[in-house]
Amino acid sequence: MKRILTALIGMFIIAADLFAQQDTIDVFPAVPYDRFIVYQNLIIFWAGIIGLIVIIKMKLREIERTQKLGIDKEEKDIPVLD
Amino acid sequence: MNCPRLKSWFLERYNFDEIRDLAKQKLVPIHKYEIWYLTGGITLFLFIIQFITGMVLSFYYIPYFEHAHKSIIEIVTKLNMGWFFRSLHHWGAQIAIVVLFIHVWSCLLLKAYRKPREFLWFSGFILLGISIFFGLSGYLLLWDERAFAAVRVATGGAGNLPVVGEFIKAFLRGGIDVTGDTLTRFYAFHVSVLPLVTLLLIGFHILLVQYHGMSVPLSVKKEECKETPFFPNLLYKDLIIWLVVLGIVVTLATLAPPEIGKKADPLAPAPENIKPEWYFLFLFQTLKLFPGEILGMNGETIAILLISAGILFFFLIPFFDRKSQRGEKSTLFTWIGVIYFLYFVIMTIIGFIS
Amino acid sequence: MKIDFSLVTRRTFLNTLFGGWLVAFMGGSLYGLLKFAFPTLGKEPDFVILKPDDFLNIPANSVKPFAWGGKLGLFFKHSNGNTTALKGVCTHMECNITYIPQDKKFYCACHKGWFDENGKNIEGPPPKPLEFFDVTVEADKLIVAKKGIKVELPKA
Repeated sequence: MKRILTALIGMFIIAADLFAQQDTIDVFPAVPYDRFIVYQNLIIFWAGIIGLIVIIKMKLREIERTQKLGIDKEEKDIPVLD
Repeated sequence: MNCPRLKSWFLERYNFDEIRDLAKQKLVPIHKYEIWYLTGGITLFLFIIQFITGMVLSFYYIPYFEHAHKSIIEIVTKLNMGWFFRSLHHWGAQIAIVVLFIHVWSCLLLKAYRKPREFLWFSGFILLGISIFFGLSGYLLLWDERAFAAVRVATGGAGNLPVVGEFIKAFLRGGIDVTGDTLTRFYAFHVSVLPLVTLLLIGFHILLVQYHGMSVPLSVKKEECKETPFFPNLLYKDLIIWLVVLGIVVTLATLAPPEIGKKADPLAPAPENIKPEWYFLFLFQTLKLFPGEILGMNGETIAILLISAGILFFFLIPFFDRKSQRGEKSTLFTWIGVIYFLYFVIMTIIGFIS
Repeated sequence: MKIDFSLVTRRTFLNTLFGGWLVAFMGGSLYGLLKFAFPTLGKEPDFVILKPDDFLNIPANSVKPFAWGGKLGLFFKHSNGNTTALKGVCTHMECNITYIPQDKKFYCACHKGWFDENGKNIEGPPPKPLEFFDVTVEADKLIVAKKGIKVELPKA
């Protein structure tokens, strides 16, 4: 229950952030105000990508750890519950 | 997400365990050249980006020569984030072709074309030609002065091929000259014909990769290689590099959106210093090297014949490289590959600065 | 309070983090894409500028249509000479309405809905009255604006 909540809050913050900042890219940004919004969105985008890469690396590390232990292969001749 | 009831609903109808076991069997060798294995996936990812951005752009683009240019200006100025998606489509195309060339040359130099993977090389070569045609047809859709003149040069060059040249030129142009008919024809190619053919060929190409597995370069001893499973280890590595590439393309699209020139006028003289897109520059420069007449024959025709011979050799390299077919080191063909690469790079650079 | 065991396995933690972040990332990107693919969903102009000569001199008890974004707008002169403007769209299923001068009512042919000359729905399925606009004349411009919108014209 708690993990679902933390995940939801995290998602909401990111989505709300994206939502709040993305409204005004209508024209080729000449006005500095619009240009800064575009730069901000770019930074948020990169933050999202780097976050994803970090998480994927964490997952990779965990998977390689379990694979090294050899515990991810199915045991042969394991009794089947029929 | 744990939904046992949903899972069992599917499992009662489809045998996923079989698919999962099959997927677990896909193993990829680890060695010092394994980074080049990723280039194909990156190319595929960039093509997917092109498909998606192209689809949304086609909602608004008008492929009639009178309105084409204006419709692009409308996309860029009036629609929500129109400039961004057009810019993303443009930069996606540029980076896709760069990565495609990297993929082709890595396969050439690592000799991934050798037995039994000849059909991978052939289908890949056709895909290379299709991608370049994608670039050419997409570029004309802009219908500004530069694009118009560049396509005139490119289709005119095709016309110099002996025997089939005039026929190909008329087929591409939809007539004698580059007109509104050319625009319609290129639009049909870009949006309908080429995507369908590409999908089929890429499907075939990837299927063959699954069948053959990944090629191990000759200098690496295959028996001593460790192997990792593709699902999930290499899939995650693929995802990471795809995300980095996405970030790069989006950054380029945001910070350097492409321009739109003046609308094309078929009757106006060609603008100064007209050059085709960068991936054609090496051909363009090569043509410039040849004088107008050699021994009484048209210099351009000879140039195009030589270029065609070079490309044909490239295409048929699996059959010429006997040594690698037998599994032996083939330094001659490594050097040939290096020469092709250096020629391409040097001619492109010269084309840029001249 | 320290507990002896973790409430969440490493695998669940990583998977939830990955899934959640991925959903947020893809959601944000998809939002941008969809904003481009569906641009004018529900968008109407805040105001429209017309030429006064074309509209102010229409006969009493008649309407003249104008473009309100992509929809129909009607410039309406009552029988007593008062001018106003309204959205010529039925509040039932958004068909275009027409003015019947003999009855001094607006009529929607789709489902036979009737509105009186003030836009109130008097007969048939329409659930709400018609939407009226604010009309102002400034210099040589006839400005039709949504009620409550402050119109700021750019200084040309």
